[in-house]
Amino acid sequence: MNFYSTPKMPPTMTEAFEHPAGSVAAKSAGGATHWLGKLLHIHIAPSASYEMEELQEAQCIAGRGIMGDRYYNGTGTYSPKPDVREVTLFEQEVLDALSRNDPPMQNGSIVLEPKDHRRNLTVVGVPLNHLVGRRFRVGEVVLRGGRLNFPCKYLEELLGAPVFLPLYNRSGLNCSIEIGGILRPGDQIELLDS
Amino acid sequence: MTARLIMKLRVENIRHTAPEVLHLELVHPQRPVLPEWTAGAHVDLRLPDGRIRQYSLCGDPLDRSRYEIAIKREMNGRGGSIWAHENLQEGSEAHVSAPRNNFPLNNKGERYILIAGGIGITPLLAMARSLRHSGREFAFHYCTRSNVEAPLLDELVKVCGENLHCWFSKEGKRFEPSVIGPYTSGTQIYMCGPQGLLDSVVSSLSGWPDDNVHIEAFQMTSDENFKPEPFEVTLASTGETFLVPADKSMLDVLRQHDFLMSSSCEIGLCGSCECGYRDGVVIHRDKVLPTSKRQDRLMLCVSRARVSVTLEL
Repeated sequence: MNFYSTPKMPPTMTEAFEHPAGSVAAKSAGGATHWLGKLLHIHIAPSASYEMEELQEAQCIAGRGIMGDRYYNGTGTYSPKPDVREVTLFEQEVLDALSRNDPPMQNGSIVLEPKDHRRNLTVVGVPLNHLVGRRFRVGEVVLRGGRLNFPCKYLEELLGAPVFLPLYNRSGLNCSIEIGGILRPGDQIELLDS
Repeated sequence: MTARLIMKLRVENIRHTAPEVLHLELVHPQRPVLPEWTAGAHVDLRLPDGRIRQYSLCGDPLDRSRYEIAIKREMNGRGGSIWAHENLQEGSEAHVSAPRNNFPLNNKGERYILIAGGIGITPLLAMARSLRHSGREFAFHYCTRSNVEAPLLDELVKVCGENLHCWFSKEGKRFEPSVIGPYTSGTQIYMCGPQGLLDSVVSSLSGWPDDNVHIEAFQMTSDENFKPEPFEVTLASTGETFLVPADKSMLDVLRQHDFLMSSSCEIGLCGSCECGYRDGVVIHRDKVLPTSKRQDRLMLCVSRARVSVTLEL
């Protein structure tokens, strides 16, 4: 008995480095260890629900957060709940994937700008999902990956866009600040020995 | 419950449109396009001390470059309008939420009757603009003391033309509800204004079904005979039960127990703290939920229950 019908033609495959995601990633350095990333944008919001504001320079305070941000001020939506929220990071690659409608979990592509995802740092070339429990450097600042961020319905309501499912497992990284300092867009990001 | 983005907008223009009424045009300092809205929508204006006040948008819903609101100085109000009158000027920063619409204009009507009293003109002016854009038939009745005390009258004249009917009480013309005529299924009535005007119009509309009559109030229904009683509130998800004392709201009690609940006006008008419920006899007391939603939704700020209620939380 044949459970599986056999197609007449062999299946057509997309070569990994020709896929819209793979083709972009293959041209830049990366991997879980030998990567070198870059800080693209810094955003803070003064209080819960306020629009994010872009900074050209941000002061990070160890054990507290980015000066002026709602989680530094204790006025964030989730501030009353103890959690790792000193600095949050988000991958530019995810914004690119959403704008390609990849994966196609909604009616079409979603164009989110770096100020929309409400995480503090938009980075490129940094494998955030591999940095839980790891120390890494952003410019002169040293961060510790605490937990993966999780999408929330609150963000969906604020944006008026169905981002909850598409952000599953790629919603960023929540970090503590081990060594504070000044951050600027363009800062290099690299893994440190744990 | 719907979270809304709060933006720091700039007051681009400000003028007195009546002796006690400021008309403001707000723009985003960085973004040319503001979140979209429909006629009847309001925004929250946040005051520096954290209080929030709602103002209906009175501009053109098709113009995404600015929000227009009008604020009447209410000497006996709760202080928000006085703050706005004393502090906002051209170039000021105003913290304003994205719009929400609790008073939407439907498209069921063949003909619309809009009745505004005083500052109640704001949502209805936006509706008149929308009706005009879509080429619908409408009549606008504007009730104020005089033309001098009529906010946004100049703009209303431009939008409505001969569809505008002014009722100036100082000239001896008080709104005569009989001009509405008998019920016809194709007519939709929208009203906003002081309670006295709304009451007199509603009492003349016997025979009109709820589907055809839409009212936005300024203040919650004051019922001096209502005596709040304590009751118990249970959370469906965890089974936790809390006592709501007579002098506290469900919102107060949930917050005491570290639940982060969003709210805004806290007088049953804005709809921010809407919540589902499962069982219990609920005394609604709000002015925002339509009858059709009251069997399973309530407003945590003003709604109460007899004995107990289970919330979908």
